Amino acid sequence: MMKKMKRILSIAMILVLTVSLAACGKKQEEAAKPLEGSEITFMIPEWGVPSQEMLDEFTAETGITVNVETVAWDDIRDKIAVAAAGKKAPADVIEVDWSWVGEFSSAGWLEPITLTQEDIDDIPSLSSFTVDGKILGIPYANDFRIGYYNTEIYEKAGLTEPKTWDDVAAQMKAIKDQNLLANPYTLPLTAGEGTTTSMIWLTYLRDGKVFNDDNTLNKENVMKTLEFVDSMIKQGLINPVNTTTKDIDTYRQLTNGEAAFMVGPTSFVGRANDEKESKVVGKIMPIVPPGGTEKATQTMALVEGIGVTKYSENKEAAEVFVKWYTSKQMQAKMYDEQSAIPTRTTVLKELIDTGKMKNTGAMLETSKLIQSPFPTGVPKYYAEMSSAIYNAVNKMALGQLTPEQAFEEMNAKVTSLAKQ
Amino acid sequence: MQRDVQKALGFLMPMAIIMLGLVFYPIIRTFIFSLQRYKLTEPDKVGFIGFENYAAVLRSPAFHYAIVNTLLIMGIVLIVGLFSSIVVALILYGKTRLSGLLTAVAVIPWALPPVVNGVVWKFIFYPGQGFLNKLLYNLDLIDEPVRWLNTRFGTLLIVGLIVAWRTIPFCAIVFLANMQSIPQEVYDAAKVDGANSRKTFLYITMPHLMPSVAIALTNLTMSSINVFDEIAALVGFRNMGQPLLIYNYTETFSFMNFGYGSAITYIIMIASGVFGYFYIRSLHFGGGKS
Repeated sequence: MMKKMKRILSIAMILVLTVSLAACGKKQEEAAKPLEGSEITFMIPEWGVPSQEMLDEFTAETGITVNVETVAWDDIRDKIAVAAAGKKAPADVIEVDWSWVGEFSSAGWLEPITLTQEDIDDIPSLSSFTVDGKILGIPYANDFRIGYYNTEIYEKAGLTEPKTWDDVAAQMKAIKDQNLLANPYTLPLTAGEGTTTSMIWLTYLRDGKVFNDDNTLNKENVMKTLEFVDSMIKQGLINPVNTTTKDIDTYRQLTNGEAAFMVGPTSFVGRANDEKESKVVGKIMPIVPPGGTEKATQTMALVEGIGVTKYSENKEAAEVFVKWYTSKQMQAKMYDEQSAIPTRTTVLKELIDTGKMKNTGAMLETSKLIQSPFPTGVPKYYAEMSSAIYNAVNKMALGQLTPEQAFEEMNAKVTSLAKQ
Repeated sequence: MQRDVQKALGFLMPMAIIMLGLVFYPIIRTFIFSLQRYKLTEPDKVGFIGFENYAAVLRSPAFHYAIVNTLLIMGIVLIVGLFSSIVVALILYGKTRLSGLLTAVAVIPWALPPVVNGVVWKFIFYPGQGFLNKLLYNLDLIDEPVRWLNTRFGTLLIVGLIVAWRTIPFCAIVFLANMQSIPQEVYDAAKVDGANSRKTFLYITMPHLMPSVAIALTNLTMSSINVFDEIAALVGFRNMGQPLLIYNYTETFSFMNFGYGSAITYIIMIASGVFGYFYIRSLHFGGGKS
């Protein structure tokens, strides 16, 4: 009888223990998914859309559902501005281009995001998204400026990798003089954003300082860049059609075999080796860009990021998503699925080391040189400043202004904006 | 009687609500914005400033530059558009077996959305690889690509021609309808009096077309003031060759200055209204006289 009672008691205890453990597990699971049932919207251009499988994984992991709105990059800024004018959030999580950070920060449209020091150190381009110590967005797709040269043309011309911009000028002239290419150097010169960034990074790579501490243009350095560009145009080393060609088409002159050297987007590491896009597969070498007196010691990133909107009603869930989307694991997956170049140095290194990313040349080395050319962060008047810069450079390229006049035109506007 | 009025009001009500919501409210709201310092990137500085935005717009060299550009485009569109519309109408008026087909073909540019129109012309004038350059190259007329859009006046001329091309079909149809309403007896009488075709056109057709001229001028003028997509597709938001609407868009949306942009919108709206008023007035008098 006692034996039977003991057995019954043991079974009862086991049952109680099992039920308690199950309940405890359930509670722990609930605690692990505090945002279960939350729903957020994510506005992103086509190239940043995660696959449904990834989104399902995120939902299973966090209990948060994500509704993706695919919007053209050009339209996103307008949508954000119009929604913000009505104090509404166009989406909980939005695309934030590096060039929008200043104005979005000034308008107060983005919520600060907290990151660990390890994450901060792993993403060098985060500096473009940091204003007054606050992280307003996390870059998810990398695009920093890197040098490229055509090894075949260089060999034919008897040249070696350029170290300085003076080397580039001399080499381009040599290639043209030997009739190897009509316009061996390529650079955007159209009246568009690509020309402004080219102007900024060219000065940055060459002489370091583009803007003075009061955000006005550094005359000495910017003038050197303008004179360099003007000289390249006048010698016919740059194709004159660049004054009206889209910047991506300008860069394609390298992969079409029409140009021998350029500093351009990192996406051309992949494009140069893609037979569908390149006529010079295996002949393009990515290098650390040239500098003023030696190789550049800094480069500029033009990265895409995502951030949480101020008017979002699900800020917590939105932040969880932003961190997940820019995590190491996701960056590796996004490279596999969308060829998005990781912004995390560790992921980039892993892709190169494992051979997933091929013919990368000095890509990893250059990625470690990323810094922001803006001493006080991207200014809130970036769009107005950019318009003044690209219009002045475009007019100079068309022969309507001298480098000095182009500088005066852009400087008058930039100085007036900086003083406002 | 009262029931009829109520019925009429009932029918009018939906349209009145739509007009209030989608026309009058935005007009009033834009006017209020135009009286404010309202830059989205400076939310702390929003406030009433009276007509300061208007004064700033009217003083702005960029605005003057955009006005000159718009007037140049308008000049090209009016000259080319008016002349070509009448010619196209005369061609379509000549009754042939192909008249129906020709009319349908002539209407195509009008049916194209402006942005598609812009993209089509962009392919034609694209530097280096554009259709026109390739054509001239294949015909051995050029050795190197012509950079069509590299000068201010070159750009404005091309834009003017494109806008005219898009607007001509509508104007031609208006002229055609007008021509078809002229009684045949008038032409028969002129023929009996020995009038040749030039005199018939000058003294019979043209006076009868005067009401349509006013409609065509209004349409051509509005199209040239409102040119946007074609320029955006051809040269983006380049200052050189920038007309009023691109200037307006840049200030409002690119620079997020809604107050200043709203003032530009109002000035453009008033200018369009003035043009429209004079055309309609001339239509009234012209119509009366004819």
